[in-house]
Order: sequence, then C-alpha cells, then structure tokens
Amino acid sequence: MKARLLFAALIIGAMLPGVTGAIDLGSLFNTLKTVKQAVKPADLQQEEAIGQAAAATLLGAAKPIDNAALQRYVNEVGLWVALQSDRPNLPWHFAVVDSDDIDAFAAPGGYVFITRGLLLHMHSEAELAGVLGHEINHVVMKHHLKELQRAARIDLLGQAAQYELQQNGHNTELFNKVAGATRNLYSKGLDKDDEYEADRMGVVLAARAGYDPYGLLAVLQTLESIDPKSGRVQLLLATHPSPASRIAALSAEMQGRMDKYGNQVEGTQRFANEMRQFVAAAKK
Amino acid sequence: MKRGLMLTGLLILVLGGVHAAATSNAQTVANVNLNDGPYSDAHTVAAVPPNTGVTILERRGGWYRVRLASGKDGWIPMTSLRFGSTNSAGSSWNASDFNLFESGRAGGSGTTATTGVRGLNTGDIANARPDPQAVNELDGWTATPNQARQFAKQLSLRAQKIPYLPDAGGK
Repeated sequence: MKARLLFAALIIGAMLPGVTGAIDLGSLFNTLKTVKQAVKPADLQQEEAIGQAAAATLLGAAKPIDNAALQRYVNEVGLWVALQSDRPNLPWHFAVVDSDDIDAFAAPGGYVFITRGLLLHMHSEAELAGVLGHEINHVVMKHHLKELQRAARIDLLGQAAQYELQQNGHNTELFNKVAGATRNLYSKGLDKDDEYEADRMGVVLAARAGYDPYGLLAVLQTLESIDPKSGRVQLLLATHPSPASRIAALSAEMQGRMDKYGNQVEGTQRFANEMRQFVAAAKK
Repeated sequence: MKRGLMLTGLLILVLGGVHAAATSNAQTVANVNLNDGPYSDAHTVAAVPPNTGVTILERRGGWYRVRLASGKDGWIPMTSLRFGSTNSAGSSWNASDFNLFESGRAGGSGTTATTGVRGLNTGDIANARPDPQAVNELDGWTATPNQARQFAKQLSLRAQKIPYLPDAGGK
C-alpha cells in the first residue's frame, strides 16, 4: 500500500514538468526504474519479514539466554551503537544466545545475536561495541538480505507473499524457503569482502558512539589466540576470513586515522559488573 | 539442567582464564620499540626483537603495556603482537583482572568440566529448526532510543561524526 502510494506520487511528480514543457519520456522511464529499484528489493517490510524468518532459524540453533538484565544490557549497548549507523530507525533487536562456542550473527531487519562464549571472552564494553558494530553493519549494508533474496528467489516478492511471510505462517512455502536459505548461508558464510567491510565500518561505529575503537581489534586478537582444535571457533572460522588476515586488513585501514580516538571510553568496569552479575545468576 | 549446562560452560571459562592469565601469551612479530607511554613519540625504554615472548598487562587504545622476561615493562603497538595459540579454549588473558569468576567452585580439573558444553557448529546451523516464538520474545528486551541515550550518558559516551575508513585492499 505504502509502496503503491509512493509510486503514484513519483509518477505524478515526474509528469509535472511535462505540463509546462514537453513530456520527457526518457526521464520518466528513468524515474520509474529508480522507483522500482528503491521500492522492490529493499522494501523495509519485506526485509523485516525475511529477517524474522532468518532470525527464527538462527534462534532454532541457539536459544536466547533467559536473563533479562543481561539481554537488556546488550540491547542498550547495541542500540546506542546502531543509532550512530546509517539505519538508526530499524527495529533493532540484540540477544545473547546459549552457546559456549564463539560467534556472532546478524539477520536482516535489525537482528544481532552474540554467543555467551564470545561475550565472556571480552574484557570491556568497547570490545562488545566493536563486535556489535561489525554485525550492525552487515544489516546496514544488507549483506545477508541480498544473499537470502537471491537464494530464495524472492527478489520479486509481491505484497501478497510478504503478507504470507509475516502472518506467522511458519510452515508456509515462503517461510520455509527463507529458512532453507538461512541454513545454507549461515553455515557457509558471506563473501569475505563483506566481512572486511563490516570490520572497518564496525570500528567507526564504536568510535562514533564514544568508545575506544580498538576494541574490535582486541577481540580479533583474542580469537587468534584460541586453538582451532578446541572446536570453539569451528563455525566462526568456517564462515569468516582468518583472524590474522582481518587483523592485518583492519590495522592497515585504521593506521593514522583512529589514533586520536584511542583514549575514548573502554567501559571496563560497567562491563565487568554486568558479567559478574550474569555469572552469579547462572550459579544460582 | 539448563543451568547446570551453563554453569559447566562458565567454569570452563574460569579455568581457562586463570590459566591463560598466568602465562606469557603473545609474541612480537617485528622489531619494535618498548616505550614508556602509549604514544609513538614516547621515550624508548628498549628495542625488542621479533619473536620475543611478552606478558600482557593492559591495553590502552592501540597500545599494550607488556612485561618482558627481564621484568622490564613498557608500551608497544597492539598490532606488533601476535597471540599464539594458547591451547586454551577458555577466557582470554585478563579475565581474571575483573575477578569475574570467583574460583570457589572451580577446584576441579578442566576435564571434569568439559561435559555439557553447548556447542554451535556448522552442522547445528545447517539443521536448525526455526523457532518463531523465540523471535517474538526478543521484543521484551529491546531498548528505546531514549533509554540508549541515558545509558550512554552514564559512561559519558558522546556521539560524534567520524567518516568511514577506506578499503585498504590487498587481502
């Protein structure tokens, strides 16, 4: 409905100049093309519907941890970082999921998940902000959205189909298509360039939010130190470039540009307090 | 049951953390100056050759304060260090600095704690059964922009405009 209104408004807008002069068919055609590109593949409603199906699939593999204080904390850090991004108004949802393995995920429409294993390997809120910033940028750049649309062949998704996807139609053909594409995409990973891009943008989001931007680099060094044979990083390494190459790329990109933000907030104390409470609650 | 699982997972991290914190855990990757401050124009205390083992004391921005085997300490750029595989699946070097994990219950060995670790591998993702209800429940934890701003204020986090970094390429 919204899309149709916008469409009509743009056609009228494009034709108005024609009233005073000759109608320029070429420019009208271009306008239509732009409208088509702007509305169809990236339509927010569609993205959110695809994101819900993808998020449901990921949460099927690892459930959110039932600790409201912890989840609230991660949502506050995450939203504060996301507010500095190019898509501050998405319905952002963050969650810590129940796995000791080390990884984090993003899904279209504003879903960001981080495993307990990764969270407990961090030392400060600045590190958390860097990792969430990386995931937020996957959403901002629509990395997964584009792949899921292609794989599930839903780039021409009509409004009826979108409705079907959103009506909790968990077993509808469309939902199952997105779920299938999600299983495939998230077990094989994105294009490596998408990961490098999310890294260098994540660093900047953390810095914009007032955090020490070296947090992400510190987390990557931690990842580098974990023995792959432990099994803790199997999924992460199967779906991302090696920590060593990410560190090399990121340090080259940050060189001389981020030093002046190195004294920004690390948030070590607040992070430690939150983790202490989380560990204490888990022991009860 | 669920709690038991989580607890054993946490204990593993405790043990790993304590273990890792006690060892020299990083190596220099090049000739590097040990400085008396986290700045490139700080005074140089010592020249450190590549493959020197160091113990990490703290990080400030892009710098680590490290201690050499000789006992001398100072600052070096963080990317001049490589964190070798520590054979530890546990929490990393300075987790114990936070006293995150009281060791009262961590008396056992790592082996007893390895049961019940909750994994997440490529197979788990490839076979995931969607849980739409779990997505709905996320709504109960979200923050509003105003709450996020309040939260940021508590740590004096200030938003600022910073351009994105260029793609250095050459990967």
